[in-house]
Order: sequence, then structure tokens, then C-alpha cells
Amino acid sequence: MSVVPMPGTAAEIEPPVSLWRDAWHRLRRNKLAVFGLAVVVILAFTALFGPYLTPYDFLSQDLNSRNLAPSLSHLFGTDDLGRDVFSRVVYGTRTAFLVAIVVTFIAVVIGVTLGALAGFFGGWLDRIVMWLTDMTMSIPNLLLVVVINASLKSPITSWMESRYLATLNPVYRETIWVDFLLVFGSMALISWPPYARLVRAQVLSIRSRPYITAAQALGLTNRIILMRYVVPNALGPLIVAVSAGLGTAMVLESAFSFLGVGVNPPTPSWGNMISDGLRVWQHYPHLLAAPAAVLGLASVAFSFLGDGLNDALNPRGAK
Amino acid sequence: MMMANDIRPEPSAKTGERLLDVKGLTIEIDTRNGPATIVDGIDLHVNKGETLGIVGESGCGKSLTMLSMMRLLPNKIKVTKGEANFAGRDLQKMSNSDLRKVRGGDVGFIFQDPMTSLNPVMRIGQQLAEPLIYHRGMSKAEARKRAGELLKLVGIPGAEDRLDAYPHELSGGMRQRVMIAIGLACNPQLLIADEPTTALDVTIQAQIVDLVKDLRDKLGMSVVWITHDLALIAGLVDRINVLYAGTVVEDAPVDALFANPSHPYTQGLLASIPKLSDERSTRLSSIGGTPPEPGRRPKGCPFAPRCPLAEAICHERVPSLEGLGQNGAHRVACFVAQRKLEAA
Ligand SMILES: Nc1ncnc2c1ncn2[C@@H]1O[C@H](COP(=O)(O)OP(=O)(O)O)[C@@H](O)[C@H]1O
Ligand code: SF4
Ligand SMILES: [Mg+2]
Repeated sequence: MSVVPMPGTAAEIEPPVSLWRDAWHRLRRNKLAVFGLAVVVILAFTALFGPYLTPYDFLSQDLNSRNLAPSLSHLFGTDDLGRDVFSRVVYGTRTAFLVAIVVTFIAVVIGVTLGALAGFFGGWLDRIVMWLTDMTMSIPNLLLVVVINASLKSPITSWMESRYLATLNPVYRETIWVDFLLVFGSMALISWPPYARLVRAQVLSIRSRPYITAAQALGLTNRIILMRYVVPNALGPLIVAVSAGLGTAMVLESAFSFLGVGVNPPTPSWGNMISDGLRVWQHYPHLLAAPAAVLGLASVAFSFLGDGLNDALNPRGAK
Repeated sequence: MMMANDIRPEPSAKTGERLLDVKGLTIEIDTRNGPATIVDGIDLHVNKGETLGIVGESGCGKSLTMLSMMRLLPNKIKVTKGEANFAGRDLQKMSNSDLRKVRGGDVGFIFQDPMTSLNPVMRIGQQLAEPLIYHRGMSKAEARKRAGELLKLVGIPGAEDRLDAYPHELSGGMRQRVMIAIGLACNPQLLIADEPTTALDVTIQAQIVDLVKDLRDKLGMSVVWITHDLALIAGLVDRINVLYAGTVVEDAPVDALFANPSHPYTQGLLASIPKLSDERSTRLSSIGGTPPEPGRRPKGCPFAPRCPLAEAICHERVPSLEGLGQNGAHRVACFVAQRKLEAA
């Protein structure tokens, strides 16, 4: 039998490794992705260990050294209470990651579940999910969040206070976490629709691909087809979205802080630092520049990493 | 290339032992204007060891007939009547788990487009191993070894090294060989090839036909080969069914069909086989028009609107598939052809 000459040789083919190992090899060849990954790793390390390594406590005030410009002893200067801005930015990294991870996690769980169900089952379920998605997306995000915070925060807080007075149960005394709950909850509530849309579209499109019919014609079970054929093919775009979404959540937290519904002071967040800095930036630009630059860097890094991961997870090379 | 046909045991076509027997299969699609018939009570069969060619223009329902037998139809398309018996069991009534054993285990499929019919994010070795692990209960290592043998069997150079390639790293012809290897992985009794060469270059097409012929003779399976290119499969098949608008209009041993094409549609198909010097063409140059769309089937003979020989009766009644000559092995669904033969 005659045989067609093959392009390339066997030597070009790498040793047998999993899809993920392959993806890693491809990721390393992408400069922007490596940059993004490096920044993300450094920030994550900072979020985990930074607060133990900073030269100053993020809360300690030194009223003799207020609003100092950046110097060797205060890398990013000090703020109007004489707190070290570098230490606060470092601690803010922890807040940013906490917010981003929790919010994105909730949003992805909601979005992937609803989107996959809608795409897989279609029919009335699909219509309901799509209606919910459109509804949520059509309401201006910030408006929704402000309304939620304004309408829920004080009733919950006062309910807890009355419970505390009635039962003296210490669970009801701490109201800080209500803040977090509301911030996280309302951010997740406006963040899930893009994930739902993405996953629904992915499932719909992959379901009708010829390789799915081919896999069914091989007699493979639905579970194997879902796990090895549908999910891996749907993963690339979702990972991009999640990675970019982490950056977006960090930016969103800043927007909330600016509106006064973000993470509450004195817990440092880049968002409340930026909104404080905005008031005095003409006099003390470093108070705005330091947190804003770090936020920008983080957001860009997550988006580069996401794009790189998509290309890496997709052996076809093209998107 | 040697014609392996000579050493092949006589197909049991004469004993008539049917491996696949489709009776009155009707396929409908849900449209905005209600259900429309795509395939209208089709009858066809494949004997043990036989190779059947199914020929017809695009849109005649060739693919859907094959998919529907294995219950692989897309959402809005359904089988509303009929049965599809494989080795004596009706695939339409079988439980899902029994059906899964037939799919890939007893019946192998090769699809039209090797570019999109392989999972782009799975190495081809693993895609080959999947049915072996599932149907044959092999370990991963055994399946990998067998996958390498299969790639060698379908003539892929450096077979073992190719196990770790992704589909996009192979040429179209190589990918189709991989598809064939996957279709053959579990030694099926029946291989269904749905226009497996349409997406390939002309030179590669002939190689793929030769490859399947070779493998069929080695492995002794039955084959259904779907195409719109009669000339391509002339040397491969034992018998041909000509399909038009979801019905078989002519059924004949391959030699009889070429020697004495009886249905006007078959005659048109043969007349449109391009000469060697011509560009490859899938158009029926000698027959104007196109097959009817689902939901717009004419009354009477479905071919009547395009038929140069159509008479009044053709627009009224549907001709049935009747045997010509003594042994009845050559059958045609055409009033005019049947009358001509009676007169002779
Ligand atoms: N997924 C689908 N959705 C709607 N119509 C389809 C679909 N698949 C096939 N059809 C219609 O069914 C008819 C038969 O299609 P098919 O079996 O693919 O024809 P063939 O394989 O002979 O080219 C065509 O008219 C086509 O338009
Ligand atoms: S039955 Fe009539 S219309 Fe149909 S193919 Fe024969 S001659 Fe043509
Ligand atoms: Mg087809």
C-alpha cells in the first residue's frame, strides 16, 4: 500500500504527558502569559505572607510623620494618619484576593451550573435561565449593589443587635462579617451572568460537534463523553473568563469602595485607599498612585494569564 | 495494488444471510410548519461479508439513515416508523446499554470530515484506546499497544510515535486513517463509512478506498460505503443502492448497475461521472434541478419533477421497488423501466 509522506518527524513529538503538562509547555513559550503568571504569583505570595513581612503594622499611626512622600523608610510614603502606605497596599493585596476569589468562586458556581443546565437541557429551563441572565445584566450593576446594601445592611444589622440583646449569644455581636457578606454577595450576584452565557454557548456548540456524535457512535457512555469530550473542550474559554474575572472583581471592589459600599475601613483595601487618595491626589499623588498602580498591574496580569492559558489549553494553536 | 477480491471468500450474498436489515424506516424532522418527512419508509439490507455502496446526491438522506439506525440523530429529527435489525435484533427497541455495546463494538463508524470528527484536545492514541478499554476491557497499557498496532494496520508511518500526536498535527488523509483505525478498533462485524473521502484530495481518496478494501478482506467484515461518487467505489462494492429523496430507487449488483442502469436517476448519475480529464464534479450535469427539500416531497414518484421520462402516472402513484429479470437481484422503482423490461 502506498503511503502519504508525513510533514514533520517523530522527533518533533514530545513524550507522552497529560493535557495539562502539554499546556504548561505551551504556556512557558508565551512571554505575556509568563509575565502575567509571575505577577499573579508574586501578588498571591504577598497576599499570603506579606502582612507578616511588612516593616510597619498597617494600622499603626504615627501622627508625626503624616503624608510623607515616598522614601527609603516609607517606600510608598505615608497617609494622612501617618500609616505606612506600602504596608497598607500589602495588606490590601490580601483583601483584594479574598474578595476576588470568593466573589469569582460564587459567580462561577452559579454561572456554570445554570449555563450548563440551560445548554444541556434546553427548553423551558433554558428560557428561564436566559431570562434571569438578561434581567441581571440589564440592571445597572452599581445601582443594584447600592440598593442591596442600602436596603439590607441596616435591617440585618439591627436584627442582629436585637438578637444579641435578647440572647446575649456572641454570634450576633460581630457585625463586621455582615459587611463582607453583603459586599461579596452583591458582587457575586452581578458577576455570574457572563459565566452562565459562556458555558451555555460552549455546551450548545460542543454538543453539536461531529466528534461528539463520533464518540457516541463508539458506544462511550454519556459520563465519559461529558468528562473527556465536552468538558476539556469547554474549559479553555472558561479559564480565560475566570482569570480575567479575578482581575475584574478586584476592580469592582474599588468601584464599590468609591461609592462607600466596599470593604469597610480600617481594613485596608486597594479600593478604599484609591477612593481616599482621590480626594487629595493634587497634594499627595502617591496616595492615589500606589494602590491604583498595583490594582492596574493585577488586572492586566490576570488578563494576560487568562489569554495565555486559553492558547495553552488549546492544542490547535488558534483560538 | 493487487485486487484482494480474488482471494476473498465468496460473500454470502446468495445465501441471503442478513447482517443488517432495515425495514420501512421513516425519519421526520420537526420544522416550524410541523413534521416533515426526510426518509420515507426506506428498506435496505447488508448481507454477511457483503460490501454495499449507497449512492445519491447530497441531501438524499444517506447520513441520516445510517445515524438513525444507531439512534444517533440530532435533537429535532426522529424515527417515526420502521425497524433496523442488526444480527437479528432491532436496534430501535434495544436498551441504551445494549445499544452502546453494538455501537463501536459490533458496528464501526467512519465519518465524513476527519478534521472535526476527532476530539481536538485528546491525543489520537487515547482516542483509539477509549473503545478498547470500554468494549474490550483492556488495561491502559494493553489498549495503547493495540492502538499502535491499529495505526500500523491503517498504514500510518511511524505508528507508535504518532500515538501521542494531536489530531491537528496530522494531515487530512492521516486523520482519516486514524478514524478508520478507531472504527476498526474492536473488530466490528459491520463498518459504516459515510463519505469518508469527500473532504480529501483525489489521490488520497483512492488510497483510502484501497485501504478499506484491504482491511475488509483481512478482517472479513461487512461494509456500507456511502458516497455521491459512483466511480470511486466501483471496484470496492458488491452491490449498490441508489438513494433518492430518502427512498431506494435502484438496487443492483455493481456490474449489473454499470452494465444496465435502469432508473433515469441512476442513468443521470452515471452520465455525470466526469471523464478523467475533467475537473472533479459533484453536480449532476445531465439532470437539472435538485432533490426535494424535506416537507416538499412531490406526490407520486419523488423523481418525477426532474425526470426526462416522466409520464402522467408518475405524478399520481409511487412506483415500488420491483425485481427485473429472472432472479430479481436487480430491482428498480420506476414505472417506465419496469414496463420496458416486461415488453422485452
Ligand atoms: N441537523 C439537521 N437539521 C436539519 N435538517 C437536517 C439535519 N441533518 C440533515 N438534515 C436534512 O435532512 C436531509 C437529509 O440529510 P442527510 O442525511 O445529511 O443527506 P446526505 O447524507 O444524503 O447528504 C437534508 O435535506 C438535510 O437538509
Ligand atoms: S417512475 Fe416516472 S418519474 Fe419516476 S423515475 Fe420512472 S419515469 Fe421518471
Ligand atoms: Mg451525508
